[in-house]
Amino acid sequence: MGRERTHRPVWRLGRVIPCLLAVVFLVDIVSRVPSIDPLTFRAWEALSRNRPPGAAFEPNRHYVNPWAYGDLASFGNLPELRQYRTEVFTTDALGFRNPPHVLGGEVNAILLGDSFAVGSGVSDDETLSSRLTRLTGCVVYNAGSDQGRVVPNEVLALARRLNMRNRLVMRLYAEDAAVPPMPTRRERVLWELEARMPARLRALIGRLRGLVAVGPLRVLSGRAVKALEDDKILPNRYAGYVVNATLDNGDPMLFQASEVNNFYRRREVRLDYWKWLRDTLRPARFDLLVVLVPSKYTVYRPFLVDHRPGPGAGADYLDRLERDLRTAGIPVLNLTPFLSAEAARYLQHDRYLYLLDDIHWDPRGIALAAEAIREQWPLADAPCSTTLSRAVEKP
Amino acid sequence: MLFNSLGFLYGFLPSIYLVFWRFAGKTQRWMTLAIGGYVFYSFWNYKFLVLMLFSTGVSYLAGLALLRWQDPGLRRWCVAGSVGADLAVLGFFKYGNFMAGNINAVTSWLGGRASLPILDIVLPVGISFYTFHTITYVIDAYRGAITPTRNLFKYAAYVSMFPQLVAGPIVRYRQIEQDFENVDRAHETANADTGWSFFVVGLVEKVLIADTIASIIDPALARYSELSTVDAWLCVVGFAYQVYFDFAGYSDMAVGLGHLFGFRIPQNFNSPYKSTDIADMWRRWHISLSSFFRDYVYIPLGGSRGGRLLTYRNLMLTMLLCGLWHGASWIYVTFGAYQGVLLILTSTFRGTWERLPLAARRIGTFGVWVVGLAIFRSSGFPMAGAMFQKMFTWHAGTAVVGGTVLVGMLTVAAGIAHFGPNSFEMHHRWSPGWVGAIAIVFGLCLFMLYGSRPAPYLYFQF
Repeated sequence: MGRERTHRPVWRLGRVIPCLLAVVFLVDIVSRVPSIDPLTFRAWEALSRNRPPGAAFEPNRHYVNPWAYGDLASFGNLPELRQYRTEVFTTDALGFRNPPHVLGGEVNAILLGDSFAVGSGVSDDETLSSRLTRLTGCVVYNAGSDQGRVVPNEVLALARRLNMRNRLVMRLYAEDAAVPPMPTRRERVLWELEARMPARLRALIGRLRGLVAVGPLRVLSGRAVKALEDDKILPNRYAGYVVNATLDNGDPMLFQASEVNNFYRRREVRLDYWKWLRDTLRPARFDLLVVLVPSKYTVYRPFLVDHRPGPGAGADYLDRLERDLRTAGIPVLNLTPFLSAEAARYLQHDRYLYLLDDIHWDPRGIALAAEAIREQWPLADAPCSTTLSRAVEKP
Repeated sequence: MLFNSLGFLYGFLPSIYLVFWRFAGKTQRWMTLAIGGYVFYSFWNYKFLVLMLFSTGVSYLAGLALLRWQDPGLRRWCVAGSVGADLAVLGFFKYGNFMAGNINAVTSWLGGRASLPILDIVLPVGISFYTFHTITYVIDAYRGAITPTRNLFKYAAYVSMFPQLVAGPIVRYRQIEQDFENVDRAHETANADTGWSFFVVGLVEKVLIADTIASIIDPALARYSELSTVDAWLCVVGFAYQVYFDFAGYSDMAVGLGHLFGFRIPQNFNSPYKSTDIADMWRRWHISLSSFFRDYVYIPLGGSRGGRLLTYRNLMLTMLLCGLWHGASWIYVTFGAYQGVLLILTSTFRGTWERLPLAARRIGTFGVWVVGLAIFRSSGFPMAGAMFQKMFTWHAGTAVVGGTVLVGMLTVAAGIAHFGPNSFEMHHRWSPGWVGAIAIVFGLCLFMLYGSRPAPYLYFQF
């Protein structure tokens, strides 16, 4: 006597929906394995996906995108304002944006900072470190990363791995970046652990993190939904992230909404991070130079057709920070007056120092900043072995 | 964690489902549900687990005490203590700052200088719902409507059962006790078809209808001062459908998830937009909440037993509390007062109203409901005033972006809400063709979930 078997139809919701979920889940997982480069609009997303702990980007990558465009055009879902350009982005074996050969040679200075230091939106030969290296003849190592990771421990660890001739650290601070926080004890322990991890393990962690964090299905469906949210079929819900302003010459320029708000909000100047950074680097005989980069809105606000009247409460933030840093004895260079004056001059010829569709500066702005840094701290006049402390002693 | 999130669909749900059906015993399944509920809740803020644990513990002990004590005085104290503790927690987290602010305002108005501190309090998600679960349990035990359970896991599973935990329905213990008792006899596959059917219906209501409408009206209402009269009405009517499909969708998903685990969660929305008067509306809208206020506030106040004026007072008090339940703001109290006035008018002019044609009564009921929702949706009295001005006096203005899609969506939504069957009127036994069609629509919902961040449910804030 066999067991009585009841036939349940195959095509029933209790089976079809879980199967559909399982299939989509599997497709999602499998689609995460290949590179997502073809789905990215710029290098940052592609190369930070599989970033190992302690690195800024995926090591040993060479990314080329002839159709890269600005982050603001992307964040604000404004395809008509994209400015297409070619972006070449190369990372070294340590996961920072440098030509691979830099690691084999002598390094004179380390450039720290966020995406402005990295050179988001420009190609390898247009970054600040490349410009400074060309201008001065001294190799500047680009250790730019996302802002939370600029910590002395990493600098020191990096310096041990580089062939450092000079002991100079340039810390680029962009106006709209949050005041860098003091790392917590937990973070310091984690960084210590990361630093001691074998390279293979770190690469594996980076890869796994990338697989979990980014999925092509999400990217593709996100794009499809964004295409519907074009302010015609559906409202563009991303429009609030950016401010679309018009310059005196009629050109549209995008700003991040938060940078506009920052301009009108008084921000407290805090020096604890900067002092801690200097004091932690000093025992290892590193000199620190802080370079302050104004936001695009600070530079271009006077040239906008409909800018809000009156001075912004946060307009003098970098000036106050510069003053306080000087008082604390920390060498500082504020690029605000210089870039503002140059922006006005170039605008007469319809040329810009910042990318129209991006938060960041453009190759021209970076080149001018490099000139300003060189003038303020004449690396070229002194041999690369000269330290900052000796250089600033010069009359 | 939201039901309409990939993390829930790919992670939490399959995990708890597999563990639950892996076990055969009652206690094991109760434990699975209880622990699962706490894990589910911890995705919002694990620190607030302590509050749920406290509320569960207090009401569980009160239930045990009510089992043991027969002395009426002791039993009253037991209920008062337990309900008081629950309400104190709810009051502190939900209404503490509201009360302090109002006391400060009144004191200042009277020329005084006392100022109570306004604390930086985060409202724990779902606190209004699980607190009401525990209150109904204790009161029902006191009244003898239920026999309190001695099993802590069973009770913890009832309070923290994830389908109903954070946004209801407010399921009473007596409504679901039988299913808890028979949890070891629940049949997995028999419940799966109905469960998924309810779930998909709810997901469609939420993701495709409510969220699409919200994506158009939310930006428009954020700039309400620029709306024209037509657009103001479009937005308010849109909100009426959004809030319905949002919450009815959530409730249907909760019912579906309940079925997947062998629980029959009761109906929470019974086609409220087919109501013929406001009293009828409140019998059909958020049934678990309105019946809570009926059974635990209105009737204990005297209901309709004390003459016309007392009935009106009871109606008004009940609706004011119902309004306040939605949020610590005078705008919600005003919404409650408006509903109270409508209920009183309904009661007074019932005869005249019922002589009107059915269609006129339905349209009229929906109309006054929509006007009330203009108050409900407003962030404050300035917005409510501006919205009424826009709605009832002629204003030109900029057109709502996505107006064409909105009109299309409202047409579909109106068709379903006013003329279609609700999820409990569906048979949930689908032919293969329908199964294929439902799978495609479910796939579309998944596509939307992939493409945009899941939108939280409106009722989470309450």
